[in-house]
Amino acid sequence: MRKLTLVTKKHTLACLFFSLFMLTAFYTQAQNIFSGSRVSGDFGFNGMYYIPDSLIGAEEVDSKVRGNAHLNVNYTLGNFSAGLRYEYYQYPLIDMEKINYQGQGFTHYYVDYKTDFIQVTAGTFYEQFGNGLIFRAYEDRQLGVDNSLLGARVRITPYKGIYIKGVWGVERKNFDFDYSSRNDYVRGADVEFGLAEIFPVIGEKNFTVTLGGSLVSKYEKSSGDYYFTIYPADEDNKTMIIPADKIPQNVASWASRLQFGYKGFRLEGEYARKINDPNIGNDYIYKDGKALFLSATYSRKGMGISTSFIRADNMDYRSQRGESENSLLQVNYIPAINRQYSYQLLGNYSYASQPNGQIGAQLQFNYQIPKKSKLGGPYGTDLTLNYSRFHNIKQDTAAEAIENGTMTGTEGYSSSFFGFGPELLYQDIGIEISRRLGKKWKMILAYNYISYNLELLQGHEGMFYGHNVALDVTCKINGKHALRLEAQHLSSKQDYGDWMYAMLEYSFNPHWIFSIGDQWNYGNADTGNRLHYYNISAAFVTGTTRIAANFGKTREGILCIGGVCRAVPASYGVGLSVTTTF
Amino acid sequence: MKNTILLSIILMLSVSLLSQTEGEDKKGKKLPAVEIKTLDGKVFNTTDIQNDGKPVIISLWATWCKPCIAELMAIADVYEDWVEETGVKLYAISVDDAKTAARVAPFVNGRAWEYEVLLDQNWDFKRAMGVADIPFLCILNGKGEIVWQHTSYAPGSEEEVFEIVKKIAAEGK
Repeated sequence: MRKLTLVTKKHTLACLFFSLFMLTAFYTQAQNIFSGSRVSGDFGFNGMYYIPDSLIGAEEVDSKVRGNAHLNVNYTLGNFSAGLRYEYYQYPLIDMEKINYQGQGFTHYYVDYKTDFIQVTAGTFYEQFGNGLIFRAYEDRQLGVDNSLLGARVRITPYKGIYIKGVWGVERKNFDFDYSSRNDYVRGADVEFGLAEIFPVIGEKNFTVTLGGSLVSKYEKSSGDYYFTIYPADEDNKTMIIPADKIPQNVASWASRLQFGYKGFRLEGEYARKINDPNIGNDYIYKDGKALFLSATYSRKGMGISTSFIRADNMDYRSQRGESENSLLQVNYIPAINRQYSYQLLGNYSYASQPNGQIGAQLQFNYQIPKKSKLGGPYGTDLTLNYSRFHNIKQDTAAEAIENGTMTGTEGYSSSFFGFGPELLYQDIGIEISRRLGKKWKMILAYNYISYNLELLQGHEGMFYGHNVALDVTCKINGKHALRLEAQHLSSKQDYGDWMYAMLEYSFNPHWIFSIGDQWNYGNADTGNRLHYYNISAAFVTGTTRIAANFGKTREGILCIGGVCRAVPASYGVGLSVTTTF
Repeated sequence: MKNTILLSIILMLSVSLLSQTEGEDKKGKKLPAVEIKTLDGKVFNTTDIQNDGKPVIISLWATWCKPCIAELMAIADVYEDWVEETGVKLYAISVDDAKTAARVAPFVNGRAWEYEVLLDQNWDFKRAMGVADIPFLCILNGKGEIVWQHTSYAPGSEEEVFEIVKKIAAEGK
């Protein structure tokens, strides 16, 4: 009973704060901003009415009407700024519920003081060191990722070109606000030297050189002994213990980076290490984690070439050693460097970064066949070629692990640094041509050949090989009316087989966009499963407000952004979304 | 801790509101001061976005965002004329993260875009602007005040952008 009143009290208090804040914010907004201050923010709502459909696997949900909502308000006055976010995900869309992103409350709140010399932030904040190999606190609303820290951050610029950052905080865990019971926190520091800024003579010669280094450490109080089973070859199975005092409470990591540029050339590298981090994701092994990220690019007007390489080994780094779900409590970010597509049919075969073991490289070439040339046409033709390939890493199981029949509690394995593992995870060969045909017409044509390891990336069987052709044609009838057609074909002998997709979009400027589309799995080996996933939508846009309604079916699959993926359940129904920025 | 921070935020807001009612002159919203990076890795403060009293267009985009690219390509076709007529300058701020950030420069140069390109890798500027979705475009007048903002792109909507830019350029003269 007492607990209940407490909860209600807390809730009322939160509501009170919220309404007060809303009032304040809107009042300020209505007053049209006073001298030097600034209120900004955004509101978003995404709701849906679910209709069960057993054919596509859209299950009956307990609450048919569901929605996600959030409100962000930022306020700046001179050197001060402050902000708040309230998220209402009490009855969220089922894809958010599936990853346990469910609840409500103030999820982001901060005060910040900033001068040219120092910036101090208290509250929740986002931050990234270098490329994020050992530390990246970030958010992606669509993915349901929010790894902000609650604590404090300091950024100092003691001299032009020298940037120092320090962070300390407890990582957000969805809507679990019980920080008093948390036994873990993250702290770190980063320093960066922009040599071209410190020594102008370097900059004058068109060179840029940046050096940086960071240290991050996670502390987590030991949660007791860890029990596991070993399977010795000539004996019976035995239950073993890693005693609590042998599970490291502090997990340290460091990274160093270098960036070098000269005119159109740019080289970049970052190397990271993590020590002593037995966790559920690596089967409680004691091996060091390592990651290397390299990239080289060259570009000049009309031409660009870029190549990059990444290797990650045992680099899944989280605030809590017992957490392995999605990106929950992830401290770092290991990017997947393949090209990211927005083609519908390829969505399900988008590569997901493998922080615990991947080695891969990517090459991309952009070229503009010059304007007014024979081949380029009056407006030029843009050409993009790309290739990427990822493997797992070579692993030689440690002698002790072979003896025990499990890696748990041992060094685990050793791995030669540049060795490609035997399993191909992902390969993509692509070409894209984009050309304007006269005043009215524009066309993009793309072809991709994708190899995707269903077993290691999705837990299904085998490999997927698919040829995808995509055509995107826009016809600008005049400044007000435009039509856009997207057509796609994916052919494959694996997984769901062949797919077709077509979508027609009509935009009526400045406010309306309508679309109708269908994905058809016409080549499914199971003839009873040759399903249609149709969708119709209408959107109204005015300034920074967008209101959209849609009706249709979504297939079960995965959604990936930046190599981070989550599962999407099948759904059918009517959706409404509203977003606005102020 | 949480409540203290919340309280202080509310307090700050209330105090500033009271001081506001004194009746200052109305001023347009300016850009938030956020440190992002240039393509060659230098730190760049967003308050340094300016164009000698002429209009500025800011576009938030990413190499993986199709409508963003469509919009920037449509503008690229007419950008020369826009600059000649109004002196406008377009800042294309990419929100690509470590996964694709290194490819922004080749991407932009490969398409021969003449824009000023900046990198907002961890979305600090995007957040400070309150941007939910990209493409997001805003226009600043000669004083650096935000006079127009827009989310999403439909073919032809760049013409509306140019109308506003022309208006601002005329007012600035």
